[in-house]
Amino acid sequence: MKIKDMIVMCLSNLLKRKVRTLLTVMGVVIGTCAIVVMISLGLGLQKTQEEALAQMGDLTVINIYNYGNATEQPLDDSMLEQFRQIPKVVAVTPVYSPETWGSVMFISGKYQYESSIYGVDMNALPLLGYQTDAGELPTGGKYDGVVLFGADSVQNFRNPKSKRWDEVPDLNLMEDKIEIVIPFENDPKNKKSISYKATVPAILTSDWSKNPSPGYSAFMDINYLKKLETEYRKLNGVKVDKNKVFSYNNVVVKVEDMKDVAAVEEVIQGFGFETNSMESIRKPLEEQSRSQQMILGGLGAISLLVAALGITNTMIMSIYERTREIGVMKVLGCLVSNIRTVFLMEAGTIGLMGGIIGVGISYGISFAINTLSMQGGAGGGMGGIGGMGGMSLGGSSIIPWWLVVGALLFSTLVGLASGFYPANRAVKISALTAIRQE
Amino acid sequence: MSLIEVKDLRKVYRIDQERVVALGRVNLSIDEGEVCCILGTSGSGKSTLLNIMAGLEKPTRGKVLIGGEDITAMGERQLALFRQKNIGFIFQSYNLMPTLTAVENVAMPLMFRGVSRARRDKEAKKMLKAVGLGKRMKHRPTQMSGGQQQRVGIARAFVAKPKIVFADEPTGNLDSHTTLEVMEMIVHMARDHGETLILVTHDKEIAQYADRIVRLVDGAIISDTPNQSIIGREEQAQPEEAATPAKDAPAEEAVPAEAVPSSEMPSPQADDPAPLPDPDAFPS
Repeated sequence: MKIKDMIVMCLSNLLKRKVRTLLTVMGVVIGTCAIVVMISLGLGLQKTQEEALAQMGDLTVINIYNYGNATEQPLDDSMLEQFRQIPKVVAVTPVYSPETWGSVMFISGKYQYESSIYGVDMNALPLLGYQTDAGELPTGGKYDGVVLFGADSVQNFRNPKSKRWDEVPDLNLMEDKIEIVIPFENDPKNKKSISYKATVPAILTSDWSKNPSPGYSAFMDINYLKKLETEYRKLNGVKVDKNKVFSYNNVVVKVEDMKDVAAVEEVIQGFGFETNSMESIRKPLEEQSRSQQMILGGLGAISLLVAALGITNTMIMSIYERTREIGVMKVLGCLVSNIRTVFLMEAGTIGLMGGIIGVGISYGISFAINTLSMQGGAGGGMGGIGGMGGMSLGGSSIIPWWLVVGALLFSTLVGLASGFYPANRAVKISALTAIRQE
Repeated sequence: MSLIEVKDLRKVYRIDQERVVALGRVNLSIDEGEVCCILGTSGSGKSTLLNIMAGLEKPTRGKVLIGGEDITAMGERQLALFRQKNIGFIFQSYNLMPTLTAVENVAMPLMFRGVSRARRDKEAKKMLKAVGLGKRMKHRPTQMSGGQQQRVGIARAFVAKPKIVFADEPTGNLDSHTTLEVMEMIVHMARDHGETLILVTHDKEIAQYADRIVRLVDGAIISDTPNQSIIGREEQAQPEEAATPAKDAPAEEAVPAEAVPSSEMPSPQADDPAPLPDPDAFPS
C-alpha cells in the first residue's frame, strides 16, 4: 500500500466516527493544555525570579576578592590576562583605588572632588553594561586624561573654604574645565603640583547593582591612574617597598551567559582566588523553581495519561467494530504491516490533533493569565492560582517555541504509544475468524 | 502441469480434548482455466479445504502447491503478497467495506498492491461496467441490493486479474433469480479471462456451472467427475437415493490421472457417483 492511501484510510476511519474521535481528541486537548499551561506558569515564575535577581546584581558577573592571602599568585595584570583567556569570559577589569588618598585630585574652579576614584579597564565598561546619562562611553584605547563621573558625583565636589556641607556646586562636569592635579605635599595649590586637563566624555548612570558602582564616584582607566600615581610618588619622594608584590584587591569578570558562571568560577578558584557571584543565590532558586515546574508539569501529565487511556480505549473499540473489515483486508492481500501502520497513524493523528488544539487553547489561557495578572498589579501576582498549594506563582505565563514543539511531539508520541497495543491486536486478528463472524 | 496441486492434505482441529478430523487425506489437482466446484454438505470440510488452498489456514499435514510454489510453507507476509498477486475472493456475505463506495471497494485489492489511485479507479470502473453496475459507481453497499453487492464483490475479485478466484457459497444469501444472474456472471468472468475458478457450495444446482465437480464427504473426496456426466446421471439417480456416502467413491477415469491418487479411498465404483442425501442442498 502507498503511504498516501494509508493516510487517506486513516483519516476516513477517523471521520467515520466523528463524535468519538472528537471526544478522544478533547481528552488529549485537556491533557496538553494542562501540561503547557503548567509549564508556562513555571517558566513565568522562573523569569520573575531571574528579574528579581538581576536587580540585585548582574547575574553574569563574577567578583574576585583578594585580601592579601593569595601569596603564591598575585592578582596582577598578567593574572588578569589569564582570566581573559578563559573560554566564555567577555570582559575582565580590576577595581582599583589609589593607594594613597588624595594622590590624584580633580579641581574645577573653587571646587575640589572628594570621593572615590576607581581605576578600571575602560574597554570593559560597555561590556559590563554601564550606561550613560549623557555623552558616550569612550573607546579606542587612548584614555589619558579621560574621567567618567557618576550621575551623582557632582555632589562630591566641594569648596574646601565653604562651611556649608549641603551646598551643591553649580558645575556642568562635561563642559566646565576640570583639572587632574597631582599635589605636592597635599597642596594642590603648590607650584610644584602637576596638573593635567581632564576630558569628561560621559556621565555614568547610577546603578547600585554594579561593582564598582558609578553613582557617586569617578572612573579612570587603570593604566592612566597608575601612571599618575607613579608621578605622585616621584614628586613627593614616596618610596616603594621592593619586596611588596602588587596585587589588586578586587577584580570583576564578566562571562557570556548565566550558565557559564559556574564553570568560569571554578577555573578562577583553581588559581587560588575567592570568588563571589549571584550564582550562589541563583542556583538554589533555580533548583527550587525547577522542582516546582516538575510538580506543575506532573499535574498536567496526569491528565494526559488519562487521555492516553482514552485513546487506547477508542482504538480497541474501533478494532472490535472493524474486526471483519480487517479480516477482509487480510484475505484480499493487505500486508499486516500496513494494517498496523494505519492503526498507529490513527492513534498518532488523534494525539497530534489534540496537541495542536491544546497548544492553541494554551496560548489563549496564557494570554488571559497575563492580562489578568497585569490588571492585578505587579505586586499582586495572580490571586487565584497564586495561592495554590502554597506555591506563589509569578504573574506571568510564558510559552516559548520549544514548549510548543515539545507539546506537539509529546502528544503525538502519547497517541502512538496508546495505539501500539490496539494496533498489535488488530494485526493478530485471524482473517478466518473475522470473515466468518456474522 | 496443473496449477493447483493438493497433496496428502490433512487437517485436524482440536476442540477441547476432542480431535476433529476436518480433512482426511485429500489429493486434488486443478488445471489452469478450470471451473471446479467443491460440493459438500456443511461439515464436509469443503470450507477448510478452500481456506487451506487460499493460504488462510495451515494444514496439519500435506502441501498445497500453486504454480509449483508451496503456499503452506510461506510466512504471513509472503502469503499476503501471494494473495495480492494470485488470488481473488468472492464471499457469501459479500464482505464489502460499508463506508466505501462501489468503486473504492472494487479498487481495494489494487490499492493493497500499491497501484496509484487514478489507475486503480479506472480499472475498478471498467470492472463495475462489466458487471452491469456502471450507474452505481458511487453507491455504498447499504444503498445496494444483495445481488448488486455481490456483483461488486465479483468485480473486486476479478479486478486484479488473479490466477485463481475462490468463491465460497457466492449465492448463499441471494434469492433463486439473482443466484442465476450472479452465477452466470462469475463463470463468464472466469472463462473470459481464462482464470481458474474454485467454487465451494453445498448446492447441486450451483455445481452445474462448473466444468468439474469434486464431492467432499467427511473430509474425503468421494467423487471427482466432469460436469456433463453428473447432470446426466443426477436426473436418473435422483430417485434411487440408495448410496451411502462412504461407499460412493470417486470416478477415477473421469479425472486427470495424476489428480486423485486416492489411496485412502475405498475401492471406487466409478460409474455410479450417486448424489448424496443432502438436506442442505435445497433449503426450504
